[in-house]
Amino acid sequence: MWYFAWILGVTMAVLLASMAAMMCDARECAIEDNNKRGTSPNA
Amino acid sequence: MDYETLKLVWWLLVGALLVGFAIMDGHDMGVGTLLPFVAKTDLERRVLLNTVAPHWEGNQVWFVTAGGAIFAAWPLVYATAFSGFYWAMMAALWALFFRPVGFTYRSKVHNPTWRSAWDWGLFIGGAVPPVIFGVAFGNLLLGVPFSFNDYLMSTYTGSFWDLLNPFSLLVGVVSLAMITTQGANYLMMRTEGDIYRRVRNASALASVVTLAGFAAAGVWVATAIPGYLITSAIDANALPDPLAKTVVVQAGAWMANYERWPLTIAVPALAFAGLLASLLFSRMKQAGLAFWSSSVASAGIIGTAGVSLFPFIMPSSTDPRSSLTVYDAVSSHFTLGLMLAATVIFLPLIVVYTSWCYKVMWGKVTTEFVAANDKSVY
Amino acid sequence: MITEELVDLSRLQFAVTALYHFLFVPLTIGLAVMLVVMELTYVITNRPVYKDMVRFWGKLFGINFALGVTTGITMEFQFGTNWAYYSHYVGDIFGAPLAIEGLMAFFLESTFIGLFFFGWDRLNKWQHFMVTVLMALGSNLSALWILIANGWMQNPVGSEFSFITMRMEMTDFWAVVFNPVAQAKFVHTVSAGYVTASLFVLGISSYYLLKGRDLEFARRSFRVAAGFGFASVLSVIVLGDESGYTVGEAQQTKMAAIEAMWETEPAPASFTVFAIPNEAEMRNDYALHIPYVMGLIGTRSLTKELPGIKEIKAKNHERILSGIHAVTALEALRKNRDDAAALALFEQHKADLGFGLLLKKYTVDVSQATPAMIQQAVDDTIPDVTPLFWSFRIMVALGFAFLALFSLALFYSIKGNFIEKKWLLRWALWFIPLPWVAAELGWVVAEYGRQPWTIYGVLPTHLSVSNLSVGNVYASLAGFVIFYTVLLVIEVYLMQKYARLGPASLGTGRYFGETRHGETAAVKPAHA
Ligand code: HDD
Ligand code: HEM
Ligand code: HEM
Repeated sequence: MWYFAWILGVTMAVLLASMAAMMCDARECAIEDNNKRGTSPNA
Repeated sequence: MDYETLKLVWWLLVGALLVGFAIMDGHDMGVGTLLPFVAKTDLERRVLLNTVAPHWEGNQVWFVTAGGAIFAAWPLVYATAFSGFYWAMMAALWALFFRPVGFTYRSKVHNPTWRSAWDWGLFIGGAVPPVIFGVAFGNLLLGVPFSFNDYLMSTYTGSFWDLLNPFSLLVGVVSLAMITTQGANYLMMRTEGDIYRRVRNASALASVVTLAGFAAAGVWVATAIPGYLITSAIDANALPDPLAKTVVVQAGAWMANYERWPLTIAVPALAFAGLLASLLFSRMKQAGLAFWSSSVASAGIIGTAGVSLFPFIMPSSTDPRSSLTVYDAVSSHFTLGLMLAATVIFLPLIVVYTSWCYKVMWGKVTTEFVAANDKSVY
Repeated sequence: MITEELVDLSRLQFAVTALYHFLFVPLTIGLAVMLVVMELTYVITNRPVYKDMVRFWGKLFGINFALGVTTGITMEFQFGTNWAYYSHYVGDIFGAPLAIEGLMAFFLESTFIGLFFFGWDRLNKWQHFMVTVLMALGSNLSALWILIANGWMQNPVGSEFSFITMRMEMTDFWAVVFNPVAQAKFVHTVSAGYVTASLFVLGISSYYLLKGRDLEFARRSFRVAAGFGFASVLSVIVLGDESGYTVGEAQQTKMAAIEAMWETEPAPASFTVFAIPNEAEMRNDYALHIPYVMGLIGTRSLTKELPGIKEIKAKNHERILSGIHAVTALEALRKNRDDAAALALFEQHKADLGFGLLLKKYTVDVSQATPAMIQQAVDDTIPDVTPLFWSFRIMVALGFAFLALFSLALFYSIKGNFIEKKWLLRWALWFIPLPWVAAELGWVVAEYGRQPWTIYGVLPTHLSVSNLSVGNVYASLAGFVIFYTVLLVIEVYLMQKYARLGPASLGTGRYFGETRHGETAAVKPAHA
């Protein structure tokens, strides 16, 4: 049932990608953002 | 539902989709047609474009879906009309090319030549398709030169230039003027100041032209254009086979339906009433009412063509018995039922979310707004 | 008159316009989903950089989308204008998914794309997120319905021929929707779109990283692309074409041609990595085989066998002979519906009607076909081997190259040091065009491999065309080539202009180049 596999697959891929981005906020991007000028990403 | 009823329901539904197209995509095309004339400066033109910016793509789908519905419900009409009117279709298609790119790309480059080139492109994309669709309707009323062989393969023997006869050109003008009225009335709701004044005048002019053209075409059909008549018994429940009937050409046959069912006079009457009301309301500065009136007029005008032709969809002038009708150009019972179910589910949803989008984006578009949002609007 | 030249020109026009449409489709499908990812991250974290990502990649999405719509309308028109007999013959089945596509998918996608671009200030962030989700859903559903239509052409299920209406009619809608070929096609094709979009974002982000600009923006975009692309490329390779193969004769014929497999191979078949197919003598020169692999790719088993070209031809020969009876009986029935003898003969042979129609290319009166004509028709049933053989291999090779790239990109994203791997960034940048190459070749395999049929086993290509003059099709083809070339030049110009400008094109004042030579300063006078 490939349609079903697709629904599951896309959901997982979306979450994986979003988590990959948020890892950035938690790790090296956070360091870099702090080193940078005043514009805080948390504004 | 029995087959006969479904066939009639689909005649109404295709009509409804065409009216939806004329009202929704029609007002965008009207804006495109008016663009070079009622807006002088770059900023004014951007105001016009941004009144339709969030909506024109969705509206264009009325057109795409009307095409798809004709394919699904009347495959023989789709096949015969599109291949027969080959160059007319190509011209409409190529004119439509200018719209998506015109809207999206125009303001992305700051060069006056680039922008005015796209403005004319948008004009072509707005004005040419309505003319062509009008001309096509005119030719349906005159009869189209095609015939089928035993395999139901169609052969078309006319040329592109034959389509451009005086009557059909008149219908083309009516169609263009109708769409322009629609666009002008829409713009009255969404603009102010100078632009508003100019579109208000345009609305009056366009509705007068539509009115005169429609009346002239009506007289022409009533007096000088022979219609078609089925002479064999019609078994509306039969499996569709266009070659199973006999048809004659007869003077005055396009008026026969109005005599047989006098109530159908209401359809052309609605067209006249709608156009007069549109004129009146635009003079009274009642933009919203004017827009609804011209929408009703569009339904009346398209409906008049449909009622006059009924039960024909595409009569054949070279081999009248090959003519396509509501009964014999249609899909199978199963497919018509399936498509009806799909329409009943999705069409109301579409109306709901489209209305929501208009509601969210409603309000006057001003030059100040466009200037302040230079990078994010058209 | 339907001549071979007319058929070839119509095919060429369809191929040109379809391949062109599919330059824009995969990016629309894939970027729409990636915008959902970015906006989801925005609503969760509330960091403005993610909103800027949605808006910037959304700008590129919009530039691409415009041409997707433009060229899509061409596709829809063309069934009527150039494939009239096709439209009549299968419209009862084929038209339905197309119309449903409009009602269910295009309306959704195109209505919400307006709010996506212009609704930022009028919707709260959850509402806007929902708008983006609906838009992405719309574009994926549109792929679903068109591929159901296209899958039916490869494996025509749920339908039956009626001699009274002289066309195919639908008998089972769900069989059409759940057609295994359509399902496999859908998953493979949308995943190909996701790969295309991921590589697009990965490549452009790498460009910024290589230039050392817009780092916070590019880093996050790179990560999204790496994560999403990795999952997608796995799906393209592992899931994609899995089921379609063994189902349906079209796929088996195609498979044999793709593999240049002249003889039926005992299971498990080996995979021919390289060969020079020799069509005249029906054998391969210089073949290089890997044992077992073909059996695995083709049948997902070690025991099923795949029929070779010679065996398929022998079977088709039988079917053509049977089809001759079907055509003769049909023609008698068209003259007289009540001819009982003809009806009986027709019922007995109607499964092979399409094979009988293949002979129409050589003779009007099929019952008089000579053995030479029949042999020609049999030869026609196998598509040209060489282009299929190579198109397929290039697509597969690219698939594995993308897998390698995305694996490394994800690996270094997790380690967090991709920004130092210049070679990886350069690799991503240079790979940007390749997913398009793979996808176009995929269509060549799928469509060219279906020849000589438009509907496999039902309707031959040479009968499908509209009865137009050759001059008309030459002229329209020339028109398309001119229009499409100009439009492509404009599109690519705008794409690279905005890609180079980067997020500064949003005018937020936060990004590279905005104060020095950004657009803001340069263009102000235009409105004065
Ligand atoms: C796998 C996906 C796929 C495939 C095989 C096709 N399309 Fe397509 N089409 C899309 C995926 C898509 C899309 C992603 O939904 C598009 C592309 C970009 C866009 O704007 O929407 C689109 C746009 C699009 C439009 C404009 C819709 C609108 O106004 O919103 C039409 C009328 C078609 N297509 C019709 C066709 C036809 C008749 C095809 C077959 C020959 C076809 N497409 C192949
Ligand atoms: C956008 C995706 C598509 C691409 C890139 C594509 C590609 C092609 C190509 C390359 C050909 C030429 C084959 C040849 O003549 O050798 C072709 C033919 C054709 N395709 Fe597709 N195709 C696409 C989608 C579809 C879909 C979705 C349908 C039907 C729904 C379809 C129907 C046809 C038809 C009717 C022909 C002409 C007959 C033929 O030559 O096979 N195509 N297409
Ligand atoms: C190892 C990798 C791959 C394998 C084994 C593979 C296999 C196939 C096969 C057998 C077909 C023909 C299906 C048919 O005839 O119906 C196909 C079609 C196609 N492929 Fe691939 N492919 C691979 C990678 C890719 C990649 C990387 C892309 C693009 C990014 C791609 C895009 C397409 C497209 C767009 C089609 C046409 C649609 C369809 O028929 O499904 N493929 N692929």
